[in-house]
Amino acid sequence: MPPTDNQGSFLNRISIRRNQVVYEHEVEDLEQFQKHVADRLTELFHLPTEDATPSDPPETLLSIAWFRKLLDAFLCCEAEFKAVVIMGRDPTTFAKSPLDRLIPEHLDRSVKALDICNAITHGIDLLLHWQKLAQIAVDSLQQRPFGEGNVKRAKKALDTLLSSITIDDKENHHHSGKYTASKDQETIGNLRSLSYSFAKSWSASKQIQAMSSNLAAPRGGEPTGLVVPVYLMSSVLVFVMWAMVAAIPCQERTGLGAHSQIPKQFPWAHPMNGLQEKIAEDWKKKEKKGRSGLLEETQRLEKLGKNLVEFADGFTFPVEEEKAKEVATQVVEMGDICRRMEDGLMPLQMQVRELFLRMVRSRGEALDVLDQVNKITTPVPYNF
Amino acid sequence: MEQPENDSVSYETAEQIILRWDATASEDARVRMIFEGDRQEINRYLQAVDRIQLSMESTTLSDDDGAAGVQGQSKKINGAIQIAMARLEDEFRNILISHASPVETETLTESMSSVHLTPRTSTSISEFPGNDDYSSRGEEDSVSRDGSSSLERGESSNTISSYRSMSSIREIDLIPADIVCDLRSIAERMIAAGYFRECVQVYGSVRKSAVDACFKKLGVEKLSIGDIQRMEWEALNAKIGKWMRAAKMCVRVLFASEKRLCEQIFEGLGTAADDACFMETVKGPAVQLFNFAEAISISRRAPEKLFKILDLHDTLFDLLPDIDAVFDGKSAESIRVQATEILSRLAEAARGMLTEFENAVLREPSKVPVPGGTIHPLTRYVMNYISLISDYKQTLGELIVSRPATGSRYSDDQTTPDMDFSDHEEQSPLALHLIWIIVILQFNLEGKSKHYKDNSLAHLFIMNNVHYIVQKIKGSPELREMIGDHYLRKLTAKFRQAATSYQRATWVGVLYCLRDEGLHVSGSFSSGVSKTTLRERFKSFNAMFEDVHKTQALWLIPDTQLREELRISISDLLIPAYRSFLGRFRSHIESGRHPENYIKYSVEDLETAVLDFFEGCAVSQHSRRRSQ
Repeated sequence: MPPTDNQGSFLNRISIRRNQVVYEHEVEDLEQFQKHVADRLTELFHLPTEDATPSDPPETLLSIAWFRKLLDAFLCCEAEFKAVVIMGRDPTTFAKSPLDRLIPEHLDRSVKALDICNAITHGIDLLLHWQKLAQIAVDSLQQRPFGEGNVKRAKKALDTLLSSITIDDKENHHHSGKYTASKDQETIGNLRSLSYSFAKSWSASKQIQAMSSNLAAPRGGEPTGLVVPVYLMSSVLVFVMWAMVAAIPCQERTGLGAHSQIPKQFPWAHPMNGLQEKIAEDWKKKEKKGRSGLLEETQRLEKLGKNLVEFADGFTFPVEEEKAKEVATQVVEMGDICRRMEDGLMPLQMQVRELFLRMVRSRGEALDVLDQVNKITTPVPYNF
Repeated sequence: MEQPENDSVSYETAEQIILRWDATASEDARVRMIFEGDRQEINRYLQAVDRIQLSMESTTLSDDDGAAGVQGQSKKINGAIQIAMARLEDEFRNILISHASPVETETLTESMSSVHLTPRTSTSISEFPGNDDYSSRGEEDSVSRDGSSSLERGESSNTISSYRSMSSIREIDLIPADIVCDLRSIAERMIAAGYFRECVQVYGSVRKSAVDACFKKLGVEKLSIGDIQRMEWEALNAKIGKWMRAAKMCVRVLFASEKRLCEQIFEGLGTAADDACFMETVKGPAVQLFNFAEAISISRRAPEKLFKILDLHDTLFDLLPDIDAVFDGKSAESIRVQATEILSRLAEAARGMLTEFENAVLREPSKVPVPGGTIHPLTRYVMNYISLISDYKQTLGELIVSRPATGSRYSDDQTTPDMDFSDHEEQSPLALHLIWIIVILQFNLEGKSKHYKDNSLAHLFIMNNVHYIVQKIKGSPELREMIGDHYLRKLTAKFRQAATSYQRATWVGVLYCLRDEGLHVSGSFSSGVSKTTLRERFKSFNAMFEDVHKTQALWLIPDTQLREELRISISDLLIPAYRSFLGRFRSHIESGRHPENYIKYSVEDLETAVLDFFEGCAVSQHSRRRSQ
């Protein structure tokens, strides 16, 4: 291994030699890392078939349960990345090209990811709000026989729900935080928009684009074996953020569908590419119809909500038996989804928070390492 | 609850009233609002609702699902209830919106400053005797920090800063009491009829908008972490100050008042109804508020940020008990946890910044020697910095618990000084850090001094700078107390030694010209003097002195007293030697040719010339200014 710096000092030569010794073991670890990621992604991509033991709740693609699994996988991936790539490594490794560029780029991505986590947390609050509205409808429609009062009540709640789900982001944004009397009254009291946590100019899709724009697959023959794991970690990060933004209501998501392919030589390319394609496909379909996001539960809620509103619109007492059965099934289904949302959304929110904290910590540690490397000192500002 | 008479109203009458106010059925009902009308109308409506509700309950109790008639009736009642509830929901919303104008900022500031006069304190021990009102929001006294918590430094001209930071919650009336009554009477009925969810949704929506509007007034911004990373420190500095003021108001007045409002309207009406409404209202805004502080706590560490970070830390620390009080309950746990996390991260950041600072001082790389050997900007910066640290010693003292990592005395590492702290066992870790900083400052200065071509100047430079350090320490009681007299003595000895080294470096050579040996030829004492040698001596002395004079006049000792002292010291060395030399040997020169070529200076001349030294300005050949 050629010496990469010009200092011929005794100590430097020792450390190079030390790296050489470690290198063998390292290759294995890095390969294992990639394999683990590939395995987890495959699990997420190939969902359990019907003969396999169904989990409760079922981990359909982009459902809450699926996301919890995804975030879990990400946390494991991140931990392994830190252990294999960052910890115990000679800091000067990161001073060398191309890592001296790649690591700061990765850290920059994680800052954007932190903002996305906050936006997602906020979005989950909106999901909980929808769940509560749906719950009203479910509770009212559980009374038998269907009575006008209950049906009206359900319809009111569902109308609010559907308006909130299908509302155009831009249009509603202007109401948030600004109180105007007169006709805005209805919207303020009735419609809970996102009331965004960021300034108007912030865009989730722009953040994702920025994160992925400089994410390039490494060419063959890189000097150090760490470039691939960094690429992997960044790709997984971007993917997870992208998936969350696609599924959960988030500020400004135009143009989200685009994504980049992972080169096929990597073991984890297949499941990741597969997942990306599927999600992008779904996104294209739904994009025109409203901004609620691809979360499976939301989609179902919307569909059921529309059906039930239709039922409520055409409601006359008494409801004939067959129709009643049909509606009852739908109500049960909606109740099911509500329960899943109620049970799953808070834990999901906590997972997102954990992700946030973990990234903060890792970023801090990485910055410490980089600071060690930077023998060029922070210029002392003589005025402060 | 205020009960209009139930018994006198029949079901039919009640139903009629309900139906008359069905907004979906009549234009008039949609346009007019019951609660904007007269009190009688309101009471009648509420009475009607109660009557319907009563029928609802009794029908359910009678449990007669067999009879189609009862079923039909139950359905009818149900229908009426729904219409009534929908109506009440609209009324509820309308009342809330009419009273949702954001609280005036002046009201908020007033509440804050009046806090100190009428405390409803939940934390720190009051400093005024007799102010024993520890009534808090039902919680026992939280731990207060010992001694003073005066943290005025960070907050500029704010009125709050001139008081002790007595944390205190101050609720204000967001909605007039009679309106609150109306709201409660509606909420009661909605919740009793099972319409709690609708009620919460409406309440949360409107109140949250009001809180958002208030945030805008207080200048709480919606900045992303990315925004904050990219921001210039100066701008960010200002925003942090603004945030600290806003956060105090938000927690102690705004959120506390919202909480009280929820209690006034919803307490006792159902399972934690008030809590649910409160969370619905403030959770989002609270998270938004704390996200800013969180973003600051994550941002890159830089030494110049230390003191603002400490201010922020202290503000949050003071707020923590109030946060705990206002955000009590399980549903608010995440907010309390977040606040605590931010606090500990700020502490970590502060520690990190101190380390950063130490590293920066050690590695500060400027090689250009300061002209004239005067005080290096690094010295000034460092001394100012540690002066400030001593101001913040209370907070920082609590945060810094580990001793500085000094170099090892046994390592070959030439890049870090080593320091033995065995003489400083009694001192706090923070004090040790201050001493350590001075050590590394000196270490760095030593390195810088080597860039001077002239060795004398190097010594002068060290003398000047170490002396400056000593003066700064002596000038600040806090700093002096922390550094301790033991180390102060060491520093004093250091600059004195530097002075001595300077003297040796410059004057040994000069005085060598005036030595006795070599002048006398063998034999007699008086006439056996080598005139040639003597002439050479005089010439060397003149040349050397002139050179030293010209050069060292340009050098600077900023401290007047030190300058004087060194000049006197030089004089004491030079003048007697010259006088004696002159006295003994001038006759030999004067008896030869052109004595003026050899004796250029009288004793007085030398005395005057010495006064030019270290003035930092050039001497002209002909005028020898006396220094001011």
